[in-house]
Amino acid sequence: MGKTIVEKIIARHCREEVTPGKVVWVDIDLRTARDFGGANVVENFRRNYPEDRVADAAKTFFTFDCVVPANNIPYANNQQICRDFAQQQGIKVSDVDQGIGSHILIDKGLCLPGYIAVGTDSHLNLLGALGALGQGMGDVDIAFAFRTGKTWFEVPETIKVVVKGKLFPPLSPKDLTLAILKRLGSKGALGKSIEFYGEAMDSLGLDGRITLASMVTEMGGIAGFITPNQEVLDYCRARSGREKIEAVVADPDAHYCQTIEIDIAGLKPQISLPYQPSKVVDVEEAKGERVNSIFLGSCTNGRWEDFKVVASILKGRRVYEGVMFKAVPSTREVYGRLLKEGLSEALFDAGVILTSSGCGGCASGQVGMTGEGEVQLSTGNRNFKGKQGAGRTFLVSPATAAVSALNGKITSPDKV
Amino acid sequence: MKLKGKVWKYGDDINTDVIFPGKYTYTISDPEEMAKHSLEDLDPAFASGVSKGDIIVAGKNFGCGSSREQAATCLKYAGVGAVVAKSFSRIFFRNAINAGLPLIQSADAPDNIKPGEVITIDFEKGKLTCEQGVFTFPPLPEEVMGILQSGGLIPYTRKLLGTE
Repeated sequence: MGKTIVEKIIARHCREEVTPGKVVWVDIDLRTARDFGGANVVENFRRNYPEDRVADAAKTFFTFDCVVPANNIPYANNQQICRDFAQQQGIKVSDVDQGIGSHILIDKGLCLPGYIAVGTDSHLNLLGALGALGQGMGDVDIAFAFRTGKTWFEVPETIKVVVKGKLFPPLSPKDLTLAILKRLGSKGALGKSIEFYGEAMDSLGLDGRITLASMVTEMGGIAGFITPNQEVLDYCRARSGREKIEAVVADPDAHYCQTIEIDIAGLKPQISLPYQPSKVVDVEEAKGERVNSIFLGSCTNGRWEDFKVVASILKGRRVYEGVMFKAVPSTREVYGRLLKEGLSEALFDAGVILTSSGCGGCASGQVGMTGEGEVQLSTGNRNFKGKQGAGRTFLVSPATAAVSALNGKITSPDKV
Repeated sequence: MKLKGKVWKYGDDINTDVIFPGKYTYTISDPEEMAKHSLEDLDPAFASGVSKGDIIVAGKNFGCGSSREQAATCLKYAGVGAVVAKSFSRIFFRNAINAGLPLIQSADAPDNIKPGEVITIDFEKGKLTCEQGVFTFPPLPEEVMGILQSGGLIPYTRKLLGTE
């Protein structure tokens, strides 16, 4: 019988027959730890493998993105523990100026289609945007991966999601993502892998693919894969400097435990209500609620395309008086491009607070936390109670965030 | 691998916050100390009453919630010999195996087991024996048994690396 994408990726890394439910030992291409969890990984490593070297320093990375630069002593200490360990072991550090680790793996050409990467970030599975398998794990697991370059893994079953129809502006990949999340629910893909197909998928750019793949965690899934198109393959080629980049493609007779069809004809802009990402409704149903703050950023919507949409809406206008608009680019590269291509000026003039890159409030970090009673629209991926502060967080697309910022209340971008 | 133990019975969706209270996450790191607070908010009698080799029996989605490893570690150090549940959250499943805590998934057995009764589990044969009869379950994969028999992922690595 044919194989799904996740089955093929795992099979390439374990050299044995792979079937869903089977537990196998896999070789890992990339292992990472961030400033949250990183110090615990180091402590675990030192306690359990004293005097040992990591299996392969060239495949091991620290990526600081949670509280960057540190604004408290515990985080500063943890980052320094990681830096010291990295120096002893010859491990590269993507430091506090660089941005979100999962995006660094993509943009530096470190992760390629078909790779397996593990790290302490529960959204590392957004590497599915490249057709690679990323997995967030605990400290013991990651310390083990640092030491051995391996991990054990249960081969998941795969759900096939086929999206019918096309996305037209002002609809964005985030609206598509929230619509799929609404349909699957928070446990719809529990313990399973997803493959996404359909016309809307083929035409998604890399940034849109990252948005969708990043929220498979919210669907309960292990990872979601979008078969790389030419644009993605070219990007990987350019970034890695490698000529030969091949996509892992599912066999036509692959076995899926479930096939779900979603028709997006007539889809409206979508919003997640507090405090569940899967509590999705049309933005129209939540319209009019007063907004205190906006958070633009995160591994879901902190990329160039996201900022470009927002800048095009805000250019020459002013954010509604009293609304705090906090913008955190996902990486230093995005930040630099905003500065150099003039978008930062448009954002600044509109009243946006633009800061250096990282996860921001989405990881309880520096910028984007809410106070009690505060209503925030976030382009992030989670709005659990307490996750982004004490306020009420709604999840939206960058376009919905921008038009709502101008109006001072929740506004659907198709109504302006 | 066989196990005989007294049953502590709980319901569905036992989350990691009640297994190891969230308020201690950053204040207690010694596993023996952690064990003293296991299931504290759900069943205050558990931590003081549990004996080595006792078995937790629960419903669906045991270990849901955060990914904290302490939830598995505290049960292991409290002396729990195994957890039998209708289903487990994936992250807890991983953390438990890594901590050397055996898990049995059975859709039927939990409803037929009473609190306080003594049950036996034969891991290789995939058999659970209780007062109501014998229930079978698919034996854990060989690799997972290897980790469990070593006592968890760390001892297993030492074996794998030949340092012990």
